[in-house]
Amino acid sequence: MFSFKRYRKFILPLIILLTVTEGAAVICGATFGKLFEGLYRGIAFFGNMYPPDWSAFSEMLEPALQSIVIAFLGTVFGALMSIVFALLAASNLSHPWVRAVTRFLIGLERSIPEIVILILLVAAFGLGAMPGVVALSLGCIGMLGKLLADIIEEIDPLMIESIESVGGNKLQVIVFGVLPQIIPNIISYTLFRFEINIRLSVLLGAVGAGGVGYELDYSFGMLQYHRAFTAMIIIIAMVFGTEQFSYYLRKKLKMEGALK
Amino acid sequence: MSMAKLTLPSKKYRQKMTVFSAVVVAVALACIYTNFNPLGIFLEFHYVRDLLGEMTPPNYHVLSDNSSTVMAILQTLSMAFLGTLYGGVIAVIIAFLAASNTMPFRAIRLTARFALSFLRVIPILVVILIFVIAVGPSTFAGMLTLVIVTVGNFGKLFTEMIENVDNPPAEAIFSVGASRMQVIRYSIIPQILPTLIANLLFAFDVNIRAAIGLGIFGGGGIGFQLQLAKSVLHYKDVTAIVTLIIIMVIVVEKISDYLRRRILGEGKLR
Repeated sequence: MFSFKRYRKFILPLIILLTVTEGAAVICGATFGKLFEGLYRGIAFFGNMYPPDWSAFSEMLEPALQSIVIAFLGTVFGALMSIVFALLAASNLSHPWVRAVTRFLIGLERSIPEIVILILLVAAFGLGAMPGVVALSLGCIGMLGKLLADIIEEIDPLMIESIESVGGNKLQVIVFGVLPQIIPNIISYTLFRFEINIRLSVLLGAVGAGGVGYELDYSFGMLQYHRAFTAMIIIIAMVFGTEQFSYYLRKKLKMEGALK
Repeated sequence: MSMAKLTLPSKKYRQKMTVFSAVVVAVALACIYTNFNPLGIFLEFHYVRDLLGEMTPPNYHVLSDNSSTVMAILQTLSMAFLGTLYGGVIAVIIAFLAASNTMPFRAIRLTARFALSFLRVIPILVVILIFVIAVGPSTFAGMLTLVIVTVGNFGKLFTEMIENVDNPPAEAIFSVGASRMQVIRYSIIPQILPTLIANLLFAFDVNIRAAIGLGIFGGGGIGFQLQLAKSVLHYKDVTAIVTLIIIMVIVVEKISDYLRRRILGEGKLR
């Protein structure tokens, strides 16, 4: 029934996996004892938080709006920058050297987490919405820049050729030949990135960009757990709401695109 | 067609322009609301220059003088690894409970689905703050956070993966009298395994980035070291740590890319 031969090839990977897991568990200090103790304490903690402080609800609506606005601005400016980067990184539009440098920059940005960018920006500009917006816009470049560059490389070359053949310059080629083909993609990826940025703006808020993330972190720091619970409810509602909104827009866009 | 129709912009064009100008107005209002001046970054660029002056040259002695930096990198890596592994296992189990072709009971299926979509909308900040209280600020808290986040991010994907498997093999096995467990073992698992592992490698990639952020909120690891170096204004250490983070992320990405390509390539051959 159970044949050793059949499962032989899994033995080595399994041993490696177990060793790495054990080593990682030792480094993390992860034990089941701690987990159960933590579960017990976590449940007790939820009991402490339980009635949310509804009086703080109205105070937190403005920070929530602020978070959404930061994410919105970050997405818009980030998308604009990404388009420029994508045009420079597409092999059919730019010089090979420019392309290599831009691709390298995009890859470099992708490997820096947004929160690290924000910490550096906060060190330079101080706290406030501005470093948050800049960090989110820069964060877009890594993802949107790469996706859009790949799309531009796959567009129909006939359109570019025909505009070039009637004497269009580079800018005209981009405006009339390239952008109309990729606009549906730009919009749907930008909306998707907006969802990510909403989550990020909550996280970045706690490090110094303001907004509802800051309220949550502050309430936890001040041990005002009822207030923190309110902030959590608002954050979850905000994330869910914007996600549904963006999903709806994307679906609508897709249907329009299919009709064309 | 009348002259007016030819010269006036079409309905579609007007629609597009309305949307476009609405976005422009919204951006302008948002800028005013948050006091954000898009040109500000150029006007205040001297701050960036000052900071860059303080940040260079990077002080790589943090690696040799202070053994906690190397340890912190290991902590971040193992946090992400364990988070991905356990999160992946839990996500697969819940996905089997939520997929319509493996779970016959509607009530359990809907519960699992609800759990997955609920976990999906909880932001990472909320999770880490709760775990820091439950188990104390440590790498363990960061790891548990990543477990939850992985389940939320990938549970739905795995459910769809299970639901989209080829049906004929399952029917063939079922028709010769296999039980539901046997159908799962011999038809569904072999079909999803390559994609599953590839997705977990991708999840590891994502989790490494998230793990760095978690360090700042009490998750330990390299993010914590970064925050520490920044708060005591050792900007030369900050530069060194940021470059270390970049190298770490790139190396992990390359390894996971390589493994993924190998696994998916094998999957195609079979």
